[in-house]
Amino acid sequence: MSRSPRDIAVALTAIVLIALPLFGSDFFVSFVMTRTVMLGLAASTIAFLSAYGGMVSLAQLLMFGIAGFMVGNAVGEAGSKGMKLGWHPWVAVVFALVVTTAVALLLGALSARTSGIYFLMLTMTYAVIGFYFFGQVTTFSGFGGITGIDPPGLFDGHPTRLYYAAVVLSIVAYVGLRYVSTTPFGMALQGVRDDPVRMSSLGFNVALHRTLAFALAGFVAGVAGVLNIWWNGQIDPTSISIGPTLDLLIIAVIGGIAHLEGAWLGAFVFVMANNYMRNLPFADTIGLTEARFNTVVGLVVLLVMLLSPDGLVGIAVRCRDWMARFRRSDDAAPQPPDAQLATADGGPTGRSAVPSHNTEGSIR
Amino acid sequence: MTNHTRRRPLRIAVALAATLSLVAAACGGDDDDAEPADEPAEAEEPADDGDDEPADDGGDEPADDGGDEPADDGGDEPADEGAGGTLKVGILAECEGAFGGFNEDVVAGATLAFVEDGGATPNSTTTALDGFTGANVAGLDIELVGIGCGDDTADRIIQEVRTLVEQEGAEVVIGPLSGDESIAVANYAKDHPEVTFIDGIAGAQETTLQVQAPNYFRFHGDGAQWNAGIGDILHNVAGWETAAVIADDYSFGWTSAAGFIADFCGVGGEVVSRVFPPLGTTDYSSFVQQLPDPDEVDGYFWVVGGTGTNASLEAFVNAKGDLTGDQHAGNLFFSPALASALGPDIAGAYVGGFASYPADIESPEITAYLESADATWESFPAGAAGGEDSPPSVALSFGFGYGYYVAGKALNQALEAVGGDLSDNHSALRAELSSMTLEAPYGDVTLDENRQGIITTYVQQLVLDDESGDVVAETVALIPGVDQSFGGTFSADTPPPDRDNPSCETRDLPWAGNSIPVVDGVPQE
Repeated sequence: MSRSPRDIAVALTAIVLIALPLFGSDFFVSFVMTRTVMLGLAASTIAFLSAYGGMVSLAQLLMFGIAGFMVGNAVGEAGSKGMKLGWHPWVAVVFALVVTTAVALLLGALSARTSGIYFLMLTMTYAVIGFYFFGQVTTFSGFGGITGIDPPGLFDGHPTRLYYAAVVLSIVAYVGLRYVSTTPFGMALQGVRDDPVRMSSLGFNVALHRTLAFALAGFVAGVAGVLNIWWNGQIDPTSISIGPTLDLLIIAVIGGIAHLEGAWLGAFVFVMANNYMRNLPFADTIGLTEARFNTVVGLVVLLVMLLSPDGLVGIAVRCRDWMARFRRSDDAAPQPPDAQLATADGGPTGRSAVPSHNTEGSIR
Repeated sequence: MTNHTRRRPLRIAVALAATLSLVAAACGGDDDDAEPADEPAEAEEPADDGDDEPADDGGDEPADDGGDEPADDGGDEPADEGAGGTLKVGILAECEGAFGGFNEDVVAGATLAFVEDGGATPNSTTTALDGFTGANVAGLDIELVGIGCGDDTADRIIQEVRTLVEQEGAEVVIGPLSGDESIAVANYAKDHPEVTFIDGIAGAQETTLQVQAPNYFRFHGDGAQWNAGIGDILHNVAGWETAAVIADDYSFGWTSAAGFIADFCGVGGEVVSRVFPPLGTTDYSSFVQQLPDPDEVDGYFWVVGGTGTNASLEAFVNAKGDLTGDQHAGNLFFSPALASALGPDIAGAYVGGFASYPADIESPEITAYLESADATWESFPAGAAGGEDSPPSVALSFGFGYGYYVAGKALNQALEAVGGDLSDNHSALRAELSSMTLEAPYGDVTLDENRQGIITTYVQQLVLDDESGDVVAETVALIPGVDQSFGGTFSADTPPPDRDNPSCETRDLPWAGNSIPVVDGVPQE
């Protein structure tokens, strides 16, 4: 089976990520790239819901946070905040992911009958509620958060292993989410995205499809949240406040919210700007301090949106198309930019018909 | 459309250039403060260091690799060579959040220590944030590798400390400022035994009493220690039988409130209400409504800091009536500056202590210290002056700046004592820090077994100045030798202060009735 340039690019990126510890500095691997991959994993759930379900969710960082708080509550043994259950770290992971997925299922069900801006606002409300819930309810956290959380022995003191865990889980999530999009459920979900009324009239349960997609995205974001608390050693409500919530959306937008792989690309740009902006030549001269990070990220988003509303991946697609046209000597009409993205890999087409023979096994 | 198409390559080039510039910055030198001559631009590990087990990687000198010091690398640090090497120092300051206004103050505090002890030269005479150069203490060149930018949250400070330690290669970190930050950093310190941490001015109890990181030192009191004695005075002098407490809902607010509660209840008072607004709240009206009315309680104790102090008091005025000195008291945030916003009726209020004394206590050491600050910079926008350009002594005479100064002085005094010996994960330095008596302008400090300061604290009162009519702070009592156990109230086994702890119980506190009165700035010993 022939592979699209997209697949080749993703495979090459994966190889580079796997090989990175061989030539990257410890800090770059264990801090910059681990954070990049984790945030990319979380942002990919925004891209998944948006690209395949037509749902732009601001609740994904909440899911990320819930998983982190649950791990912190489960493994914590001391301190002034949290339940301090003192469980085994791996039991805590299962607990955290079950709770996160259950919450995602519940919130997904509550918001499944909304769409567009209403869905966005509702999920933003979830994010705000989550922030205040964990801030005010000291049983689970308090505003100071939960600190001193060590990862399981497998990762404790081995940051490169944690990096590899993030990379491997990201690859699994990427392949898995793309696979889901090709299943009957995924095809039906894209149908719900494109024309919920028609899908409903065909007998599909629109709300259930949306709810399950939201739960799946919540689970994946929860996995990222578990990695994050292992990596960071702590979590506090600020981690899931409205600022970071918007940051995650910005990451998806920078990369290209219609492309799964754009999430990791956007996370890379975001983290690089966050970490190395202060080292840019003349940065101090023009006032580019850490405190100006949001301004810089805003400019990056503006630049990306002006250059390509489809994000950095969209730029790559345009580059590829431009080069293809450049090579052509005839005047054949160029393919639309997304044509190759809409191949059997299940990439979003913007108008995805739902073939009737693909509805077997779908939820009606 | 045609034009649009033609411009696409240019736009793509611009985008790629922006991305590549960030990549270039990432690959460049990590040091943005120190002399580049000492630092190769390459920040990456040698290619042969692909081991994912940093612990096995002996010999990568942070000074040569941009400071990518593995967490568990016992570390062949350049300082291991003993005197004559370089010591990389990072400062965890506060540029955002409720205490972001004190950024200049705290960086100036740490800087002044290196100016006095190491001959450092600030890079600017109008801001401390540009860092310093040329410091040498005990034969070690002190290199400021970075100034972290906290926002009073644990999440942010961990990113900043990781950057300082793991990217910039800081071997000693001075800071942080805020309570939740310090708990997170102390936990981080446990995972980084190769780095020595000296607290800036964060006052959460849990940081040292519960976390107990062996490489984390705090040469000042916690929030509870700073409030020793004020409950005794409010109960036995001001006549309060009952009190309501309103405190920031985070670790320092809890700790500071705990000091008052333990003190006030210890001598027989009763705390009838505890209200905890989140730090940085802008509208306190709903929280003020939860407080009892002025005719239902003898007094209110305020532990609301940063940007919330004035806002919370104004909310009280709007909801429950004027603030009067006989019914209101507070911790260190209850400063004379309140009078300018809320009126002189606040005169008479008692205020808990802080790291530095009010201006009415003078000594040759304090005078020399403040003169030293004024000689180092022309002026800078100090948080202690409300962000206005002011003489450096304004910032350095207030606890935030002073706390960082003391941290720097402690490092320098210990370095001198051990001759710059940083071998074996700073073992000699840490032993000296743990056991020495730090000679500081506002009183000497020793550490307890948890590396926590044992301090002299004080109680002050806001009074009207006879000449100017302004509200000023006047010291009324000193309490020497206050340790973190707070007269046996707290230990590693007691729950850390929170919304419910400590409970209101009568206790036998050693300083109750035994504080040293201060008259006209002179202790009556």
